[in-house]
Amino acid sequence: MSTAPVPADQSGAGADLLRIVRINEEVKKVVGVAFKINIMALNAIFLAKRAGTAALGFGVLSNELRVFSQDLRACMSGLTALIHGGVNDVSVVLQDIRHSRLLRQAAALAPASAAGRVLRQRELVNEAHARKLAALRRQLKLALEDAFQIVELGGVLAKSAKIEAAYGQGFAGSLSQVSAEFDGVVEEIRGSLEALRRSVFFSAGQASREWI
Amino acid sequence: MKTTRTIFQEGSHKWVAIVRDPQRPNHLIDTNEYLVTHGDQGILLDPGGAEVFPAVFSALSTEFDPSALAAVFASHQDPDICSSLALWLEFNPDMRCYISWLWSSFVPHFGGRADTFVAIPDQGMDIPLAGLSLQALPAHYLHSPGNFHLYDQTARILFSGDVGAALLPVGQDGLFVENFDQHIRHAEAFHRRWMGSNEAKRRWCERVSQLDVDLLCPQHGAIYRGADVQRFIDWFDDLPVGIVDA
Repeated sequence: MSTAPVPADQSGAGADLLRIVRINEEVKKVVGVAFKINIMALNAIFLAKRAGTAALGFGVLSNELRVFSQDLRACMSGLTALIHGGVNDVSVVLQDIRHSRLLRQAAALAPASAAGRVLRQRELVNEAHARKLAALRRQLKLALEDAFQIVELGGVLAKSAKIEAAYGQGFAGSLSQVSAEFDGVVEEIRGSLEALRRSVFFSAGQASREWI
Repeated sequence: MKTTRTIFQEGSHKWVAIVRDPQRPNHLIDTNEYLVTHGDQGILLDPGGAEVFPAVFSALSTEFDPSALAAVFASHQDPDICSSLALWLEFNPDMRCYISWLWSSFVPHFGGRADTFVAIPDQGMDIPLAGLSLQALPAHYLHSPGNFHLYDQTARILFSGDVGAALLPVGQDGLFVENFDQHIRHAEAFHRRWMGSNEAKRRWCERVSQLDVDLLCPQHGAIYRGADVQRFIDWFDDLPVGIVDA
């Protein structure tokens, strides 16, 4: 995930939009890596077949890693859909903020006009939008935790594959190399998800009402 | 906040110019908005950009209930003309927006429902306002390809959008043109560059010369009145347009 900080002068929904865009980029990266695992798992299955009985355990784990990559991709595509919804919701909140700012200025300049009433109506709509965004934020956080659980399992599978590779007799070298690659890729995904978890986007919901 | 100046009044029939905001940031072009009222209804001509909405709204509120605005008339599609549309609709969601058919699916990006927009055909149309009839006159390619001006035969006022516009320096930004020769220098470069068609310009000059016009009200700059109206038409007729030194 990009480590470039959100600019200091960027606050509220503007900063949130930037954050969710960065989350989306990171998720795209994970989806790409998950696809790579799928291909790697297929190759590992063929390798295990060639190794025969010496790599039975490794073959089972390779199959499981393939299932893992498919589960991860499904989970990430759910996350992507939520993020797209989030980008839309944050954009709506951004529009609300501008709209309300202009109405607030109008109400201040013309206190006896209908602007105050219209502003209050607008604020009710804004609050509904902010609530929708807060709910989506929670959903996104849960989906991210689900992804994390899947990756934990992937980590266990990769580590087990490393152990099984040691019993691969003549194929031990090749199997070790493949299992080390699995482990490296799973760690890469874990790192991405850790970075996503730390995103301020998931704690910014508390402040969302202040933007209105 | 902008100021309001009544430029015509006959009973409930009124034209109010909403002009000159001293607090306007310099990076936003200055605009004139015009409110036409008749009976208990009003129509706002070129309601302005979203960023100037507070200033226009507050000035208009001193004269008229914004929720009684029956319609806005947008001479064309530019952001300084009608990007405030969604904000005006907050006050009367049933308000209509009259605009060239050419822009009737573009301007909804600024806000409004499908039934907000009344598409003006190329030849123009009459716009009713509580028994008063206002005429949307074709002014295509001056500067927008789908462009209309609004003529009030009773008040003898022509709202001319960007035609007649001048970018006035501070201190020379009175409401009316006082010295035509001095004023027109601030209009020349604008017209040469922004008006795209000499043929369209000639047709407009012919059409407008046949109207009784006491006041020619542009969206930027000062209002032409009396003999300055014909003076402007003649000047514009002679001016080669659609020119850029590049």
